[in-house]
Amino acid sequence: MYVIMVYDVNVKRVVKVLKVGRKYLEHVQNSVLEGELSPAQYKKLKHEVEKTIDPEEDTVRFYLLRTTRYLTTEELGLPSRNEPDSSFL
Amino acid sequence: MKRPVYIFNAGELQRQQNTLRFTLADGKRRFVPVETTGEIHVFGEVSVNTKLLVFLAQNAIPLHVYNYYGYWSGSYMPREQYVSGYLTLKQAEHYLDHEMRLVLARAFVRGAMENMERVLGYYARRGVELDGQLAEIAGKKESLPLALTTEELMAVEGGCRDLYYGCWDGIVKSEEFRFEKRTRRPPANRINALVSFGNSLLYVTVLSEIHRTHLDPRIGFLHTTNQRRYTLNLDVAEVFKPIIVDRVIFSLLNRGAIQAKHFHKGTEGVFLNESGRKTFIEAYETRLKETIKHPKLGRPVSYRRLIRMELYKLEKHLMGDEPYEPFVSRW
Repeated sequence: MYVIMVYDVNVKRVVKVLKVGRKYLEHVQNSVLEGELSPAQYKKLKHEVEKTIDPEEDTVRFYLLRTTRYLTTEELGLPSRNEPDSSFL
Repeated sequence: MKRPVYIFNAGELQRQQNTLRFTLADGKRRFVPVETTGEIHVFGEVSVNTKLLVFLAQNAIPLHVYNYYGYWSGSYMPREQYVSGYLTLKQAEHYLDHEMRLVLARAFVRGAMENMERVLGYYARRGVELDGQLAEIAGKKESLPLALTTEELMAVEGGCRDLYYGCWDGIVKSEEFRFEKRTRRPPANRINALVSFGNSLLYVTVLSEIHRTHLDPRIGFLHTTNQRRYTLNLDVAEVFKPIIVDRVIFSLLNRGAIQAKHFHKGTEGVFLNESGRKTFIEAYETRLKETIKHPKLGRPVSYRRLIRMELYKLEKHLMGDEPYEPFVSRW
């Protein structure tokens, strides 16, 4: 499934959440990561994020798409940091 | 959902923040998610350090290195994940016993030939005149049980492959891509360069998959096991070459996605250039991800998965559970 992760967390934990996210997803913009994951990988990611955040102060939101067939993205301004899911470096 | 990563740029690959980071020569960085990386293929000039290698081993990610011409140079394989002394013994036993070895070798050759027939059959149905060659290949298949050594099997296979390659000029209707004859090391013309590059990708894909099973890649059956080479991946790749590599080549050429400009000719022969390699790899990866409905399982299975299942069938054969039947495409 295709996962878009968006977070709004206390500055103290921004970097921590980003570090966890980067292990699984491509960093697209500040506080936004996305990529293709298996259900198991998604579960692991959620678990790791849960351990890093403070549920009293932070929110992490996941948008789940079964396929990217109906997903179109448009951009204004500067291009994103990374193009998700490219096999080439 | 593990996918391979192909590195064409020059730069440094490092472990950082428990994930992978690639720093380009101009200082630009890109993070590569470890959890979704299955293997790394290095075509460019990349520096690595031991910290990275240890990290790759922890995450069971093999690193494959290719030379200037796009040939596989070697791999950094993570410490064996799955080891089974029992299966290794069984595998060796099947190699050492002439009869047992021949059964497997013959199965690989038969699988390869039948898949070649499938590919030709597809184009025959689309109006390419191939009836004569198809009949000849069918005839060659009859002689398989008569081959009593692996050398004879290889000869039958070679003869069949010559016939098969002879049909390509009828399928690829382009003056720029005449096949003429198979030449290797170095490939003498463009289409040979495509075949060589595609086959070497497939060998490495199969090798990566073998490392995810209990099999030992050093003991092959059709190809003779010698001092240094991995051979089991060559055996299994035979079965899949026609339906994976060759179909990718046909589709790229007939769509015009690969053209003469994607090659460069050195003193050493003809090779794909960087943009050609990228186009090829992209099509190859798409093919591996493509799914077919598996006749036995009744659910969609990708071609990459199919390779793994082939290895599991081999394990079953070695353990005496179920005789090995090579995968033959159905269309």
